[in-house]
Amino acid sequence: MRLEAAELRSGYGTVPVLHGVSFAVSSGEIVALVGRNGAGKTTLVKTVLGVLRATGGSLHLDGVDITRLPPSRRVRAGLRATFQERPLFGALTVSDNLRLSGFGSESHHRVLDAFGPALSGRGSQRTGTLSGGEQKMLSAAIALATEAPLLVMDEPTEGLQPSNVALLGDHIESARNAGRGVLLIEQHLELAKRLADRFIVLEKGEVVDGGPAADPGLAARVARRLLI
Amino acid sequence: MDALTLELLNGVSLFAILAIVALGLGIVFGLMGVINLAHGEFVMLGAYVAYVAHTNGLSHWLSLPLAAVVLFVVGVVIEVGLIRRIHRRPELTILATFGLSVCLRQIAELVFSKDFQSVPNPVPGATRAFGVLFPTYRYLLIVIVAGVVAATLLAFTRSRFGLVVRAIVADRDLAESAGIRTGVTNLCAFGVGAATAGIAGALVAPLGAVEPQAGLAYLPGAFLVVIVGGYNRLWGVAAGAFVVAAVQTGVIHFYDAVWAQIASLALAVLVLQFRRPTPAGAVV
Repeated sequence: MRLEAAELRSGYGTVPVLHGVSFAVSSGEIVALVGRNGAGKTTLVKTVLGVLRATGGSLHLDGVDITRLPPSRRVRAGLRATFQERPLFGALTVSDNLRLSGFGSESHHRVLDAFGPALSGRGSQRTGTLSGGEQKMLSAAIALATEAPLLVMDEPTEGLQPSNVALLGDHIESARNAGRGVLLIEQHLELAKRLADRFIVLEKGEVVDGGPAADPGLAARVARRLLI
Repeated sequence: MDALTLELLNGVSLFAILAIVALGLGIVFGLMGVINLAHGEFVMLGAYVAYVAHTNGLSHWLSLPLAAVVLFVVGVVIEVGLIRRIHRRPELTILATFGLSVCLRQIAELVFSKDFQSVPNPVPGATRAFGVLFPTYRYLLIVIVAGVVAATLLAFTRSRFGLVVRAIVADRDLAESAGIRTGVTNLCAFGVGAATAGIAGALVAPLGAVEPQAGLAYLPGAFLVVIVGGYNRLWGVAAGAFVVAAVQTGVIHFYDAVWAQIASLALAVLVLQFRRPTPAGAVV
């Protein structure tokens, strides 16, 4: 499966944020999208998923134009996203969140145990009472446990303790090795460098750099751009 | 003592009518955020279904599910043809449903004329209970409303559909991103809201005149109930109907119907002043 964005534009009201972003993510690769705060990363995630309407350009999933499809149809077509803010339904229980993502009660344990004991046995707890990091873990665990061939993960490690960052990295790597494509929006540069096959650098709503992660000059350029 | 018992029974009967009329309004407003000013006309159409059923020799009891089905279809058609295009813009939904209410009244006039029609009481007479005689039909109405409200609440709390509804009310975008087809759920919700209004119309048809303007009488009361009970908690509709009926019955007992309406309005204003914002998703 291949997700392809061409000259993608979007924004909020009359304020444009993305000014023609092009990229592609294919099955079996992790593409790390990096950029400083305000670069338009979250706007890109929302536009890819259809929560925000594209004002220009196109999005294709395996050659099918999904630019005008509602988010639910994109999810059914094979996309799945985790969000940086409000990743779950806080007023519902953990089990309800799992049920909404299509997991029967027999598979709840499998999803909740993915990150060790932190979420185990907490199915009946109201999701909003979990810590921010636990909510992030749960959101990532749900997305990874789905069969979606293409994952878009917006800052999944934000608020996670270091051991869980490493664990989440392992899960994302396993997803890639199982043939799934991942667009990873990540501030945690070390993790991005460890996982990514390719980098895209976003700045002020435009792709300003990118290429294979193996390119020795790219990692230095990425680090420099994020630090400046 | 007998007079007080009778007043209490009248109050329970009023509570039942308010609850069944406001139920659909609460569903549509709570889930979709649509202020449906044509809800009273849905009640009116339900009453006409009962009238048509009667003129064709059908049992009144059969007209209740018939009204639910007819109004569900009407609701679905209106959702697809009108509401779907504007439901994220409250000011447009108010204008559009106001226009719709006028259209539905005119259509009823064209089809049935302005004349008052009547549906005979299927259970004439009164039953003696609690030491007083009270119309048997009103007892049955209370039981039927209790059943419909309980079934609706159960459907919205215990089923997968109810869970999906709660998710959509909490965060529509997140629900869509979880693969939930919010458009289909909206369609069902609007249809169910209209269907409960249809049942309400058929139920109250034997209690008054069936005429094109009949729905206007029910809309203000239904809105008061939704305001008092809260619009994103479905059980709040039942609680709101109880409070409004209690206030109205009490004020009518001591003063008159005009003061009862004023008291209900004052209650709604007070509730709006003191209500704390409800956390998103704490619904149904």
